[in-house]
Amino acid sequence: MSSDVTDPVGPGNGRVVLEARNLVKDFRTNKRAGVFGREYFRAVDDVSLELRAGQVTALVGQSGSGKSTVGRLLAQLVPLTSGEILLNGAPVAATRGRAFIRYTGTVQMTLQDPFASLNPLHRVSYTLGRALRIHGGPMSADDVTERSLALLRKVELGPAELYLHRFPHELSGGERQRISFARALAAEPKVLLADEPVSMLDVTIRKGMLDLLDQLRRTEELAVLYITHDLGSARAYSAETLVMYHGKVVERGPSDQVIHDPAHEYTRRLLAAAPNPRRRLAG
Amino acid sequence: MRLSRFLPTSGKVRAGLIIAVFFVLLAVFGPLLTSYSPQASGTDLLQPPSGTHWLGTTQTGQDVFAQFVYGARISLGVGLVAGILSQIVSVLVGVIGGYFRGLSDDLLYILTAVFLVVPGMPLLIVLTGYLPSRGMVSVAFVIAITSWAGSARVLRAQTMSLRRREFVEAARATGESRTRIVFSEIMPNALPLIASGFLFSVIGAVLAEAGLSFLGLGSLTTTSWGSMLYFAQSAQAFLYGAWWWFVPPGLAIAVLGAGLALINFGIDEYSNPRLRTGRSRARAVRSRGPHAAALSTAGASAAASGAETPGVATILHDDAPDETVGSVPAGAAPAPPQIRELDVPGKPIIEVRHLKVDYPGADQVVHAVDDVSITLHRGELLGLAGESGSGKSTLTNAITRLLRNPAQVTGGSITYHRSARGRPSGPTTGGSEAEVEAIDLLGLSTEELRAYRWDELAIVFQSAMNALNAVTSVGAQFDDVLRVHRPTMPAREREALARTMLEKVGIDPGRVSAYPHELSGGMKQRVAIAIALVLEPDVIVMDEPTTALDLLIQREVLDQVMALRDEYGFAIIFTTHDLSLLLEVSDSIAVMQRGRLVEYGPALEVYAEPRHPYTRALLASLADMGALV
Amino acid sequence: MKYLLRKVMLYVFIAWAALTMNFLIPRLMPGDPVALLVERLQGRIDPAAMEAIAESYGLTDAPLLQQYRDYLASLAAGDLGLSIGFFPVPVSEIVMGALPWTIGLVGITTVISFLVGTGLGVVLAWRRGSWTDHLLPALTFLNAVPYFWMALILVLVLSVNLGWFPVSQAYEPGLTPGWDWEFISSVLYHAFLPAVTIILASFAGWVLSMRNMTVTVLGEDYVTMAEAKGLPKRMVLVNYAARNAILPSVTGFALSLGAVVGGSMLTEVIFNYPGVGYTLFEAVQNQDFPLMQGLFLIISLAVIVANLVADVIYVFLDPRTRQEG
Repeated sequence: MSSDVTDPVGPGNGRVVLEARNLVKDFRTNKRAGVFGREYFRAVDDVSLELRAGQVTALVGQSGSGKSTVGRLLAQLVPLTSGEILLNGAPVAATRGRAFIRYTGTVQMTLQDPFASLNPLHRVSYTLGRALRIHGGPMSADDVTERSLALLRKVELGPAELYLHRFPHELSGGERQRISFARALAAEPKVLLADEPVSMLDVTIRKGMLDLLDQLRRTEELAVLYITHDLGSARAYSAETLVMYHGKVVERGPSDQVIHDPAHEYTRRLLAAAPNPRRRLAG
Repeated sequence: MRLSRFLPTSGKVRAGLIIAVFFVLLAVFGPLLTSYSPQASGTDLLQPPSGTHWLGTTQTGQDVFAQFVYGARISLGVGLVAGILSQIVSVLVGVIGGYFRGLSDDLLYILTAVFLVVPGMPLLIVLTGYLPSRGMVSVAFVIAITSWAGSARVLRAQTMSLRRREFVEAARATGESRTRIVFSEIMPNALPLIASGFLFSVIGAVLAEAGLSFLGLGSLTTTSWGSMLYFAQSAQAFLYGAWWWFVPPGLAIAVLGAGLALINFGIDEYSNPRLRTGRSRARAVRSRGPHAAALSTAGASAAASGAETPGVATILHDDAPDETVGSVPAGAAPAPPQIRELDVPGKPIIEVRHLKVDYPGADQVVHAVDDVSITLHRGELLGLAGESGSGKSTLTNAITRLLRNPAQVTGGSITYHRSARGRPSGPTTGGSEAEVEAIDLLGLSTEELRAYRWDELAIVFQSAMNALNAVTSVGAQFDDVLRVHRPTMPAREREALARTMLEKVGIDPGRVSAYPHELSGGMKQRVAIAIALVLEPDVIVMDEPTTALDLLIQREVLDQVMALRDEYGFAIIFTTHDLSLLLEVSDSIAVMQRGRLVEYGPALEVYAEPRHPYTRALLASLADMGALV
Repeated sequence: MKYLLRKVMLYVFIAWAALTMNFLIPRLMPGDPVALLVERLQGRIDPAAMEAIAESYGLTDAPLLQQYRDYLASLAAGDLGLSIGFFPVPVSEIVMGALPWTIGLVGITTVISFLVGTGLGVVLAWRRGSWTDHLLPALTFLNAVPYFWMALILVLVLSVNLGWFPVSQAYEPGLTPGWDWEFISSVLYHAFLPAVTIILASFAGWVLSMRNMTVTVLGEDYVTMAEAKGLPKRMVLVNYAARNAILPSVTGFALSLGAVVGGSMLTEVIFNYPGVGYTLFEAVQNQDFPLMQGLFLIISLAVIVANLVADVIYVFLDPRTRQEG
């Protein structure tokens, strides 16, 4: 039982920050269709969701379900095939140029692999400094250092001065993931898309990371999309859970309800397949 | 970053740098050493080296040493200019094509292919043949045109792979512009390749210039190493035995080329640590402990013959223990290990006693496995739990005798209790009471080890995608095991057995002729299990066998493994970081933390009443994250 | 087989590009070299030939496209123009006379050098960490030696000083070419030194690249699994490590073939070996541009065919390329 999550709805009064309507994404495959055409593969099929201020929404699915693609679509890292993304109620299409940079000022994404998501050749100070400069405009070197330190403290890396000049290879997996969060927070975003933030981390570190995410959503009033393959942590850390299968959302609802009273056959199979020692005690 | 990081530690690189610097100095200052002009004829015709003419004279009495040092300027100059030009084209074509993709990349790809396939030298000859005037720069320019393609292709591939790396996507998500991503995220990571491409371009250009001049297509008014050879050849210098005329320029080209290639070795080893040779590796090998000779096939035979080191066993372990920064407060006394009595029906089959495995590091020795004792019984499923760096892989690698250098067993023993079962017929049942022979696993000779492997202990590797050989069929990967371990079995029976085993793991026996890439991830893992079972071993080590699989497929594979265990009665050592999975399937559980065994006992007891604080913390975090609902 | 089909299409395109390059080079080079050449030749050869040459270089009033069409048409008819140096012998005749020597010499030595080098590379990878590592710098040196210089040294030592081998030519002058032992043995005797040169100068490259690939592959899980299966070392090495490590070598064939061909051409020059390399040298000496271009074309086509052969072999070696779709 998770005792930390006391206030799943959060302080943002559930105001919708980012909304996705009927997202569809087709990827070109390597298979050819006819002489010039290619076969297409529908990775995301008619997905709609809402992210609310101060609330964590979990998007659960196995690999290949399209959950990460939804995250990339919401981050505008890849263009939509069809559908609409609304930020604060206004439709936005900004996959490149200035509009995209403005968009990233509000919507930030972190990636799964803490070992791969930081450039091995750049120090923490560079990584954070770039993020600060992109979104904070021109600022002095002292300002950058000061604000970088503040970011490191925010993600509970201390003493912050110690981390600033480290290279990624001098950090553990959990520390790197925290740097990724700090980089995302540099933009002072309203939405954080966290793609499998803990799946590559050791079990004992995972909890701290998810607690951090939970704390950020409350203090920063962040709307968080928690993308994961793990139903258990989705239930423990999110208010709403969506289950994806083959590009479609097959089940959605309040997290407790999805786990305890799954409506869809697929969700039930997932829950049944999850390893659990109690199965043995019961059987 | 300290300066010493940039000084080469490798002898090869040092030698290469010395050679390169020597030739550069020769080209810059060499002409100051001689009073002769390279072109001026003299009266001493075809003289061997002497005090007046350090490298002798040519047929027309020119001083060979003067030609050699002035020639160095032209040869190196052309090499550098052509190398730089060609590398600029490579970088533009390779990096831009690789990053931006689309139509421009398709066109650049085809252009690269054309210049890659059309042979450079003939094209070079035709192009220079038409050049109205052949100065140093125009020759360098033509050489660059014909030589950029190879490097461009390599850079394109590298850029495409870097582009897919998460840090590039993360930089995009942060809001970085494309130009910045190309120049400060991708390019620095491609730098080793660009450097190595540049070195090869320079070698290639020096060679090309020499070839052209040798054919009389260089600039004949200036002297280069190639034109020296041209005149030596046309004067039939070798018929007169005038070695001093043509040996120095050719030797210089070869030594310079070798020097640049040696520098490139350093770049290769920097970007691919597996290629490293020399001192750092040798040190690790030299300081082997008492059990060193028995450590691996490599150790035993290398000590005997000094040459029989199989490459497999000398590769640096890529899985060395991870020193997690600050995960445990320093100085805190570790809690004592919690060991409980096991009540398993079978007799012991593998006994690990006080095993110690060390990784000698630069500053300190890492105890990857520190005084671990566990016992596997016949038919038992022993779960081995631990996070990254806990030493669980090192422990199983010691049991399977697959430890890599520089890991060394520094203490303890591993005993295997062999049952005298009538081989190769029929399945054996767990807890067979037949007579037993105790074998010291760490002391097996190469041949004994080879016979023991797979027949008595088989392994299912973590990711079957990488554990199956991609270029041979599934059938062939059953077949080689059978041919080696059951030499008398006829081919027809071998194939029939492979089919039967596939059927046992729920795969259509017709897939015996399939290749791994034609199977899904779950099927590959089943094939790996079927191959492990084919000799009906008494023990199977399963190293994270389901980690790479989806939840539903993981469940199917697990059910299959349990059913097969009931049928064949083998014992399993099952490692995973997923504690809830282990608690569900194992008979007994061993929890490891930083090389030490912290808790060991019947799975259900450990689950119901964890005694060690680490186990308690693990279970608590699982519960907090909703895993134990 | 789609993989192969795509490759064939690419090579057809490359062949077309080589043809077109051949057409464009004399027309697009700066300083109008052809006009200079024609000027220089004026009076040295008969006017009929002069006219033919001028036409073959497009020094006509016909538009470029028309010239291109004529060029392709005459190529299709196997007409490469007339040689200036050996006027009025057709270029195609000279090329066809030279080609068999080169294909025999370079073809066979390239195959031998690839096999020897690759095999040695695997052995060096397997014995990694032993004394064999000290061979690497020597191999690196060998790899950087220019072919023609290697040839000069071999000639100096083995022919001039020791007199074991002939200095030049492809067979004893005075022999009539034919399928008799005397002729064939003379050809083999004369080819020995050039062949040794090419092999010595090129095999080290294969050794080094194969060693690096094999060392990398030896760390892969499937090699560890093969070892765990209790297979004999040789089987692990050949069926698992080398079998996978050779794939990039075959792909990299294109990269290396150009260098081997270039080096072999210079080797032919040293030995006065009557192949395309020596003929090209002669053409350069005589400023015989039609012959130069004809040779360039034929060498390019031969290399393209060799690459295609390498790709066919690749398809046999890597089942993943045989996947449909």
